[in-house]
Amino acid sequence: MSEHAPGAAAHEHASVRTYVRVALILTLVTAFEVGVIYIRLLTPIVVPLLLAMSAAKFALVAMFFMHLRYDARPLTAVFVGPLLIATGLAVALMTLTGAFLVFGR
Amino acid sequence: MAAHETGVAATAPATLAGRPSTSRLGLAALATAVSWLTTVDHKRIGILYGVSAFAFFLIGGIEALIIRLQLAGPHQTVVSAQTFNALFTMHGTTMVFLAIMPFSSAFFNYMIPLMIGARDVAFPRLNALSYWIFLFGGLFLNASFLVGTPPDGGWFGYTSLTLRQYSPGPSIDFWMLGLQILGASSIMAGVNFIVTILNMRAPGLTLMRMPVFVWMTLTVQFLVVLAFPPITVGLIFLMFDRFFGTHFYDVLAGGDLHLWQHLFWIFGHPEVYILILPAFGIVSEVLPTFARKPLFGAPVVIYSGVLIGFFGFGVWSHHMFAAGLGPVADAAFSIATMLIAIPTGVKIFNWLATLWGGRLRPTVALHYAIGLIALFTIGGLSGIMHASPPVDLQQTDTYFVVAHFHYVLIGGSLFGLLAGAYYWWPKMTGRLLDERWGRWQFWLMFVGFNLTFFPQHYLGAIGMPRRIYTYGDGTGWTFWNRMSTVGAFGIALSILLFAILAVRSLRGGAGAPADPWDGRTLEWRTSSPPPVHNFDVIPPVYGRDTFWREKHGDGRGQKPTPLPAVADPHGIHLPSPSFWPIVTAAGIVIAAVGALTHLWVVGAGVAVLLVGAWAFALEHHGNPAHADQTGDLGVDHRKLAMWVFIGSECLLFGTLIATYLAYKGRSVIGPHPHEILNIPLTTISTFDLLMSSLLMVLALAAVQRGDRRQSRLWLLGTAFFGLIFLGFQAWEFTEFVGEGLTLQQNLFGSTFFVLTGFHGGHVTLGVALLLTLWILDLRGRLGVADAPKVEVVGLYWHFVDVVWIVIFTVVYLIP
Repeated sequence: MSEHAPGAAAHEHASVRTYVRVALILTLVTAFEVGVIYIRLLTPIVVPLLLAMSAAKFALVAMFFMHLRYDARPLTAVFVGPLLIATGLAVALMTLTGAFLVFGR
Repeated sequence: MAAHETGVAATAPATLAGRPSTSRLGLAALATAVSWLTTVDHKRIGILYGVSAFAFFLIGGIEALIIRLQLAGPHQTVVSAQTFNALFTMHGTTMVFLAIMPFSSAFFNYMIPLMIGARDVAFPRLNALSYWIFLFGGLFLNASFLVGTPPDGGWFGYTSLTLRQYSPGPSIDFWMLGLQILGASSIMAGVNFIVTILNMRAPGLTLMRMPVFVWMTLTVQFLVVLAFPPITVGLIFLMFDRFFGTHFYDVLAGGDLHLWQHLFWIFGHPEVYILILPAFGIVSEVLPTFARKPLFGAPVVIYSGVLIGFFGFGVWSHHMFAAGLGPVADAAFSIATMLIAIPTGVKIFNWLATLWGGRLRPTVALHYAIGLIALFTIGGLSGIMHASPPVDLQQTDTYFVVAHFHYVLIGGSLFGLLAGAYYWWPKMTGRLLDERWGRWQFWLMFVGFNLTFFPQHYLGAIGMPRRIYTYGDGTGWTFWNRMSTVGAFGIALSILLFAILAVRSLRGGAGAPADPWDGRTLEWRTSSPPPVHNFDVIPPVYGRDTFWREKHGDGRGQKPTPLPAVADPHGIHLPSPSFWPIVTAAGIVIAAVGALTHLWVVGAGVAVLLVGAWAFALEHHGNPAHADQTGDLGVDHRKLAMWVFIGSECLLFGTLIATYLAYKGRSVIGPHPHEILNIPLTTISTFDLLMSSLLMVLALAAVQRGDRRQSRLWLLGTAFFGLIFLGFQAWEFTEFVGEGLTLQQNLFGSTFFVLTGFHGGHVTLGVALLLTLWILDLRGRLGVADAPKVEVVGLYWHFVDVVWIVIFTVVYLIP
């Protein structure tokens, strides 16, 4: 009898080569992240730039290492839904405590 | 017949049956007690929740009666002001966390597996663990009375009232630790029921065919797993402020007292829906059954419930209109609050339309369901008044608000739960409750309730404030307060009558058939009470109200073509009893007791917790019956559970990170972040953690293909990289302390150490899990069949990684 991991057979995951590529990209983006804070020219846009790169790394790990790209869609829903609620609450909390004013008071 | 695993519950009573000698009877009683202590059967756990909730409800009710006696007239001296504070604090806390919530849990536990055609919940031992943690947490909270220091800061625990400076004794510590314990129980149960409902439905039971009670349960569990983390964070901050001298709520150090209010009400408002939606679900089952027609617009009722849950996260600041948030915030939260009235109103009209034209059977359950519609509507209407900030400012902290939320939580939640109690009692006990006396009980409750709380609208309108322990002669409040006290004793009498009816039914009530109400859903398809395995064969599902269709056909009387019985592929497997849930729960509460007494007791509690958790985790390792847990979504139960838990963790870390950012730049003394953070060093540790995720996926791939050499290598490698990260963190912390940045130094120190420390704690747990898998692999006990376990640990590990990606950016890199 051939052995299969229960529950895993239905969803193909990425190859080792893909994993290594993702790790390389993560390393490069991290290096860029650290690099941009020392470039004075980028100061006006450094915060959105850093947030974008951080979000890209977050998405790469979630999609490839956590297999969301390959797994059943409901798993994405139970992760992304709370993630959006958490982000919304965090922005609201910062706004309401005056740290990050979206609206004037 | 069910194939049981060997267990006390299954064997002991049968062995001792028919031998009446005293010692044998003693042994039988002991065996029965052990069988309840070790049970993992969802039905027994449901009964345990119900009995415990009723006991706590009585305690909370006695507290309410003393409050009402104290307020029955001016200048009363039944209790002191201090005792009065403790009574209203514990009354609110008890009724919310120890009575209404667990009453709902009793029905979730008993009914959900039956209603979806399952044999148990997804994780029966976790279910038992949730119950024991809840019970011990409730006992811990109430133990504060025994040592003479009950919590007295209100159920909302507002800072700075609850800080050490203003509440120096252990009273608030009991409250704060007790709520954290209860929160852990709720989140575990939430994850369990989400997985159960999504992944364990009988074939044919699509999401839109699920009974409304199941839908409301699913919505509530999502609310639980997403709403409890913010208050957990708030309580952790409070704990650190009280125990370790941090500054989260210290205004002089730059802290913000509004932070607690936000964190409390981000939880507190969804909590209202956690309390009310189960009752809405029950009413949505009771009305169609006794009107003998389908629920009017069932999909709309479902969508409305889900919308209520979703909107519930966007209205919390309406509890803070009086706090001065500004016109923009007030307007936004006012609009959101008014919007939430729409789906709520939709439900009311759908219920009325269900009754319209029905052939009503006026059972006690139907009385309570209709009572809910009437009383909740009153509570809802006064709620809409509070949605308007100018009106709310007049009503805040008056008895009008007390009247409002009691109409919601008694007229809504409790009436719904009592409808459920009368409706499902025959199924749970195999006995009928006395319907004639039940009607007396209902009317006593209905009149008593309205006599108690309707006058409180007027008392609030003429200016009586909440939480005052006495009042003067000339206020004009005496008559209505007296009426209110008389009504409260009417409620008490009604509850006493319910208890008498319940005992009479259990002792000699008429036997209940399987389907006493001509029910519509699957729980009525099995015997009353159901056998331990629920159904001999998994029932077929023919659509919404499947059992009704099976008996009576569709709207034209056309019965469905019988579907073949669905055989269990591996036979009927029932979980065996386990001691480890109660041991693990005991460890948690011992540690909490230690926090109030001696450090060594904390150590003992943690040791018991670790032993319990370790044994719990490995109890069924290698058992082939537990290997394949693939469910309806095509996903392993454990994997789905981990994703739901990760969703919950998003809220935990989201709150921690938001607090760090909200407090950034507010420290009144240094060191400040730019003076102390070491970016090059942290870049190396970040790289290390990112690479550990690569090793983790390689480990999983190796386990899945059965390559034991590589799986051992990569598992150890991942754990090793995790240890390196922790080493970097320890080194960084030591350096910071050397440079003068401690938890107590300033707001930056408090937020930085708590945020990164919590992340470090998660990494530590991840390393422990990885090393456990590695040891199992070394001993040849980690095969291909265990790949889902490795995947679940891997998901946790990657999540720890993505959290660090965010922390690295927002804490270290953003200037």
